[in-house]
Amino acid sequence: MIRAKGLTKRYGDVLALDDINLEVPVGSVYGLIGPNGAGKTTLLGIVAGLRRPTSGSVTIDVPPSDVAVLPDTPRFDTWLSAREVIDLARTIGTNPAPPDRVDTVLNEAGLADAADRPVGGFSRGMLQRLGLAATVVNEPQLLLLDEPSSALDPIGRREVLDLVARLRGESTVVFSSHILADVQEVCDTVGILRNGRLVYQGSVAHLLSERTTPRYLVHLRTPIEPTIEALRRSDWVVAVDQLGPDQLRIEAASVAEAESSLAAVLAGARARVVSLGPEAVTLEDVVLGMVT
Amino acid sequence: MTLWRLEWLRLVRTRRWVALTFVYLFFGLLGPITARYIGEIVKRFGGGVTVSFPDPTPADGITQFVGNASQIGLLVAVVVAAGALSLDAVPEIGTFFRTRVPSLARILLPRFTVTSAVVVGAFALGTLAAWYETVVLIGNVPAGRLLAGWILGAIYLVFVVAVVALVAARTSSVLTTVLATMVILLGLPIAGIVPDVGEWLPSHLVGALDGMVRGVAFTEYLRATVVTVIAGTVALWAAIRLSSRRES
Repeated sequence: MIRAKGLTKRYGDVLALDDINLEVPVGSVYGLIGPNGAGKTTLLGIVAGLRRPTSGSVTIDVPPSDVAVLPDTPRFDTWLSAREVIDLARTIGTNPAPPDRVDTVLNEAGLADAADRPVGGFSRGMLQRLGLAATVVNEPQLLLLDEPSSALDPIGRREVLDLVARLRGESTVVFSSHILADVQEVCDTVGILRNGRLVYQGSVAHLLSERTTPRYLVHLRTPIEPTIEALRRSDWVVAVDQLGPDQLRIEAASVAEAESSLAAVLAGARARVVSLGPEAVTLEDVVLGMVT
Repeated sequence: MTLWRLEWLRLVRTRRWVALTFVYLFFGLLGPITARYIGEIVKRFGGGVTVSFPDPTPADGITQFVGNASQIGLLVAVVVAAGALSLDAVPEIGTFFRTRVPSLARILLPRFTVTSAVVVGAFALGTLAAWYETVVLIGNVPAGRLLAGWILGAIYLVFVVAVVALVAARTSSVLTTVLATMVILLGLPIAGIVPDVGEWLPSHLVGALDGMVRGVAFTEYLRATVVTVIAGTVALWAAIRLSSRRES
């Protein structure tokens, strides 16, 4: 859907983007992540046509009329009502949706009760949801969302994430965020930016599996010392850490050895196992390791 | 909701049309009164100083209106136009529009047209008020010459809105747009001091309403009218081009 080659953006002496090669697959939900100042908004701005690259090129497989952009802090003329904002967004595009889409998206954004109120009195969260509604009203094929959930309360954030998840397969979504849990939840592909460079691009699943270490968390009934001794005698166990009076973290030499031997060792030590599972690696763990 | 209706709502809901209409109407009503009663006013507030004024002529009523309208009225017109045409004064609102239309002309032309219409309409109301009061208080003003003068003044005001659009394409706030436009508009009469240049400049039309009711020939304003129409058209075209190329 989007291919960017050698994108560079320079503001005076500051190199905001440095040789970015972006590949956003059709129908994907692409998470653009990185710390503040990494270049996320600049990159989205170039893709949206709002900024020009210093060098490099961007190819988008849909016409501009099928691209919708949501800035990080959407604002509208304060004297318009929410319904008028959505209707304006619907009609000024080149392929306007039917008029009944206005009420549909207002309902989906949870703004039906505020539809006829001037947006000048809206909270930041309401403006964010209104912006998202205005972005999706004409059902564009490509959505560029800059921090769409950053200003929302937990319920609003959940609604936005659900909405983005529903768009998967119907539209292509590029979703910038610094809330990594959100990205991990809804994105299938990520690009990680650091100091204007794209340090990783690929599937979330691949990124997590690549960084996964064979660690397991075990919750036991006390006493747990015999189990610790038995694990430490096993040659496939690299380390055993006691995290609490009844919890262990076991690091194995490999996933295969842990999967074939861990249960047997626990059984041999007559351990009373309450729970057992792999230690989850979050996107946050991985990204923090890559950008810091 | 069309972009034309949006501009109409901007004027109505923000009451900008009221400000424009009030200013022109106020000076339209005040000008002839001032011209008619200036002697009595000075006598009452002059602190005993005696100043003799010649009897007012009908043209004096229009002169007073033009003098005030070309300053305060022009400033209000520039502020109202800058509020509508400064597309990127709030970058997020600029993004909303820029990412939805294939050409910025679709946004700027309604803003330019509706604002120009309201400015010209307010000028018409002020001119009508000044004319009516002048006829009642001082004497008759030929309607044909008044209409011709009003048309020339209206052409100048449309040019002013085009200049605002051009300046707004390069500035990032309403205040900067207003200040830069006023510098340009005030600079034109200064340039007009140069012999043989003034009659070619758009600023020559500022006093056209006054000049026409005083009997100046229409041809006296012909060169400035042609230049103003061409310059206004070029300014609007350049505004659309520059806005389209601008990064936000």
